[in-house]
Amino acid sequence: MVAVAEAELYLPSSLQDALRVLADGGGAAVPLAGATWAMRAVLRGEELAARYVALSGLDELRTVEVAADGSLAIGACVTHARLGEAVADQPNLRGLHDAATKAANAAVREAATVGGNLSVAAFPAADLVPALLCLDAEVELARPDGNERVSLERFLQLRSELAPGTVLARVHVPAGRLRTAHARLPLRVAGDYPVAIVSVALDVAADGTVARAAVAVGSVEAVARRWPELEAELVGKPVGAEAAAVAAKALSATFHGREGIEAPGWYRVSVLPTLVRRALTALSGQEGNQ
Amino acid sequence: MTIELTVNGETRTVTAAPLTPLAEVLREELYLTGTKQACGEGFCGSCTVLLDDAAAPSCLTPVGMAAGKAVRTIESLAPGMSELSPLQQAMKDADAVQCGMCFPGILMGLTALLARQPEPTEDDVRTALSGHLCRCTGYARIVDAALSVCVPAERGV
Amino acid sequence: MSPTAIRADLPRRDAEDKLRGRTRYAVDSSRPGMLHAALRRADVAAGRIVRIDTTQAQAMPGVRAIVGAEEAPGRYGVGIADHPLFATGEIRYHGEPLVAVAAETLEQARAAAAAVVVEVEPYDAHLSMADALAAEAREVHPGWRDYEVLHEGGQREGNIAWEASVVRGDTDAAFARDDVVIVTSEFTAGRQNQAALEPRVCVASYEDGRFVLETSTQVPWSVRNNTATLLGISPSAVRVVVPAVGGGFGGKFEVSCEPFAALLARASGRPVRVAYSREEEMLTSVARENAEIRIRSAVTRDGEIVAREAVVLLDCGAYGGEQIFLTSMTAHTLCGNYQLGSVRLVSRAVYTNTAPTGPMRACNGPSATFALERHTDEICAAIGMDRFAFRRRNVLGDGDLGSTGQVFQGDVLGPMLDRMVALREAGPELPPADGRLRGTSTVVGMWAVGVGPSAATVNVNADGSVTLITSGVEIGSGSTIQAIPQIVADTLGVRAEDVVVKAADTDAAGYDVGVGGGRTTVSLGAAGTAAGLDARRKLLDVAADMLEAAPEDLLLADGHVSVVGDPDQRLTVAAVAAHAQDRVGPISGSGSFASRREATAIPGCAAGHMVDALDIPIFAVHECDVAVDPETGHVEVLAYRVVQDVGIAINPRAIAGQIQGGVVQGLGYALHEEITIGEDGQIRQRGFESYRPPLVKDVVTVHSDLYEGAPSYGPLGAKGTGEIPILPVPAAIACAVADATGQQVQRIPLTPPRVLGLLLDDIEGPVDLTHLASDWRGNVLGDVEARLAAAASY
Repeated sequence: MVAVAEAELYLPSSLQDALRVLADGGGAAVPLAGATWAMRAVLRGEELAARYVALSGLDELRTVEVAADGSLAIGACVTHARLGEAVADQPNLRGLHDAATKAANAAVREAATVGGNLSVAAFPAADLVPALLCLDAEVELARPDGNERVSLERFLQLRSELAPGTVLARVHVPAGRLRTAHARLPLRVAGDYPVAIVSVALDVAADGTVARAAVAVGSVEAVARRWPELEAELVGKPVGAEAAAVAAKALSATFHGREGIEAPGWYRVSVLPTLVRRALTALSGQEGNQ
Repeated sequence: MTIELTVNGETRTVTAAPLTPLAEVLREELYLTGTKQACGEGFCGSCTVLLDDAAAPSCLTPVGMAAGKAVRTIESLAPGMSELSPLQQAMKDADAVQCGMCFPGILMGLTALLARQPEPTEDDVRTALSGHLCRCTGYARIVDAALSVCVPAERGV
Repeated sequence: MSPTAIRADLPRRDAEDKLRGRTRYAVDSSRPGMLHAALRRADVAAGRIVRIDTTQAQAMPGVRAIVGAEEAPGRYGVGIADHPLFATGEIRYHGEPLVAVAAETLEQARAAAAAVVVEVEPYDAHLSMADALAAEAREVHPGWRDYEVLHEGGQREGNIAWEASVVRGDTDAAFARDDVVIVTSEFTAGRQNQAALEPRVCVASYEDGRFVLETSTQVPWSVRNNTATLLGISPSAVRVVVPAVGGGFGGKFEVSCEPFAALLARASGRPVRVAYSREEEMLTSVARENAEIRIRSAVTRDGEIVAREAVVLLDCGAYGGEQIFLTSMTAHTLCGNYQLGSVRLVSRAVYTNTAPTGPMRACNGPSATFALERHTDEICAAIGMDRFAFRRRNVLGDGDLGSTGQVFQGDVLGPMLDRMVALREAGPELPPADGRLRGTSTVVGMWAVGVGPSAATVNVNADGSVTLITSGVEIGSGSTIQAIPQIVADTLGVRAEDVVVKAADTDAAGYDVGVGGGRTTVSLGAAGTAAGLDARRKLLDVAADMLEAAPEDLLLADGHVSVVGDPDQRLTVAAVAAHAQDRVGPISGSGSFASRREATAIPGCAAGHMVDALDIPIFAVHECDVAVDPETGHVEVLAYRVVQDVGIAINPRAIAGQIQGGVVQGLGYALHEEITIGEDGQIRQRGFESYRPPLVKDVVTVHSDLYEGAPSYGPLGAKGTGEIPILPVPAAIACAVADATGQQVQRIPLTPPRVLGLLLDDIEGPVDLTHLASDWRGNVLGDVEARLAAAASY
């Protein structure tokens, strides 16, 4: 068992350096970003790794690049706070903005990173996962021998089994003429993890009907996922919060809510229609990215 | 291992394992016990310090990652015999303090807010405070005092 | 009365250092050469200890001392000495201490504690009171008959650690009347963790054959005495000193980590710090107990309560602790507030294989008042009477009998209800309707000032300052650091800031029960007043010589002694004190306080009670308006109002701060803070991720009105003001939620899942109290028929 007193911290000079050390370390070396999850390992009764490779000091992972077409490349070590600032003026990313600026609390948002939030498989209540899922985000995985892009959905399946030396380096969010919203339900008004999350992105045609819909649900099951049945219901109709909530209610049996200390599974599923309504109400006033 | 930190403007050299929480090093090595460590998991805000002017949960910050950054603790707000900062004075004037354990974190959280956002709204202030647990006061006076200093409209600007 | 010190919003002298981060709490204390300690705790809820082997742990790096049950032969308790320091022979709860380790670093201590080999033969654990009360249930304490009984009178049997009961009047006849409606209600309430931000922590050293314990406690003398009991040593070998305490709320009202630190300091020859982690605080704090309550009343159509009966189960966990005493309080909290024609109540502390519970702010007051006031609303519904009118008709007034036959003095609750109407009408308007369910409530509550012995010494120094020496600790309320010096200053005609408060030290100050029970201002204040008056008399005698006047012709005010009618003839207090120091020796006064025992119960009414009548009752009226989201179960408190009986407001601003803080803590208990016990017997909420005290966006600013003038023999007529603000809050919330939803609210906390469950299809179902006998008599030990027969005549 590795004690805190024994665990090493490696501060790499570059991403390549980090990848090399991680690959050489096999499973004994793990990447560390904002550290807000790893620093609670002892409290969770988990083993510490022998060596942590700190990525958060690498400038190349700390930028948010907005391309001319509006697509985004978010470095893995961008914190929630910086992401919130970076997208504050993007009308089509209200959902991502709310996810970044309402997660956890102010101090944790200054430390916790995008990469960490997406990578921790044991954390079902991550806000950025559903927010990015409904934006069709891709993640860029860096390896010593080159980079690869995979869909975020695919990454969520892969993330527990990544080969040593593989690191989530960037998140790519495609441009879109979207209206987005992020409805989260903590048990207090703020300051705790949400027991259920609904993130929505709608592409609304000129005639006011929904051309394309993406709905993602977080914290209800162990891993966030899209809600294709509800997406299909929304397409071709005008944006209607009430109708969407009714549809969500009819379709919510597709979810198996996870039992948790803070809320039972049935509760997480029960509140989904309400969160769908709140999300659609929030985005119904938006103009989209025309 | 030996780690060089900049704490309240001074260079300090500490001997600590790099994954040691910054809060523990501040308290146990540097005797800066104003920073509290009440929950150890980032949910109470009592360990909040500034790292390069941003609020940081020092219980979740490995000391090895704080090297090279400017750490500011509650002890820096009114060092030596200097007068209380406006935030501290407002809390005192409002008779906001009871047991006092939450105030160092709250003051640093609000200081960070003002550093980034000199003219926050009332909602900004409440949002900044919502990561801080106070078990004694019921918050009302803390909020009123914070608003009186932080929000331009409240301070008559 | 000096206008400068009483009814004055004086600033707290400890605020500035707390704001600068300079105040040193016990958790901030460290010493050269100090070791760190960790406890090895049981990881099963019940079992026989087969073997504990520390050989391997002894050899671990940095380990300097390991101690266990052999070093601590004693048992302590409140009514019954049932509680050993370490599990001895058997394990009774998940988390019970088995061994304590001191090492150079905390991590080394934890590693060594984990390396201790523990072999246990587990038993089926009683994780609920229903389990513990089942027929033929294994006894949590098979040796209960042999325990030393520290207070006589309670009935005990098997897993019933203590039973207190009340019988007054002919309840059978009253329930049998044909002109009454009978209403039965059942409730459960959860546990609440005190969650003080400073954990329980102690730095101990062993010096010149004595233990010096610098600790975070509310009860220095209890720590001194119980540490000695547990270690089997003389109490005089223990010195307890207490710096500023970072929150108590009852969680530090018992000895806790101090004996471990003491043993390890002696064994290692080094100072030792034991600081409980937040997880240890969550898993093993003496939380407010979970309770199960059945209450039944016979009420006439015009609203007269002719009979009331109740059965109360308080889960004391593995050891009796404070619950033994607290069975006394349900007579007043559950069968108080209202005039009752007749009453019978049984209150039982039940042993289970769970972490021991204990006193939290107002103790069982919040859960009992929740049950009583929800029951009251159910009565109103049953007889079709307005809820406010019913309360106004029935609240205790001057000359009315309490449940134990105590005669209450003064009309207090009635006028307070009227004041609430005025407060409501003066308040801001509620926000407009928004589709959520709106509800409102008005509830009353009753609690008492914990009286009990206190001592104080006052030194009047030659510079005119005054040193106040008591065993009072400052836990955050400001009573010790601010209210008591205000009272003492008043007796000596000096400014409050001229009174220096010595930090609690059992080597310096006399016995005191402790800071809790809302007793500080009353008991320590009364002792301080007596000490101040003693010093005043000596001061005036000396001044009389100096001024050539009779002592009774002297006036002591504004830091001066003057001759009445001749204001030019005056001396400073400093001059008199300096003169006295030179001629007769320094002036000091001593004073003490104990309960006057003025209030008395009717003999025979109460059995097993440590408090059968309340010397100084306190009352409160609370109101709230809530909005319930019918889709998520979230309850938002829109407005909250308090009228509180304070006797006299020594420091009105400080009292308002206690009300705001107490109400918010009550909102936590009513709405957010949930403790559940897993199948393994361990509390599931291990930290602030899952245990959720209110945060800033969850609260409202409370509108309060301080009601002065109710009788109290406290100093200047003061009462304790810090506890009762939490007491009626779950009642107010639960009644308002029931009003909003039209549902029968039977449980707290009202978390969003629970409220939504009520609104959907009553997912949790009705409360199941089938482990109570349906006939009240079946829940009472001893010769119940004889007591009922006797009670019919009083």
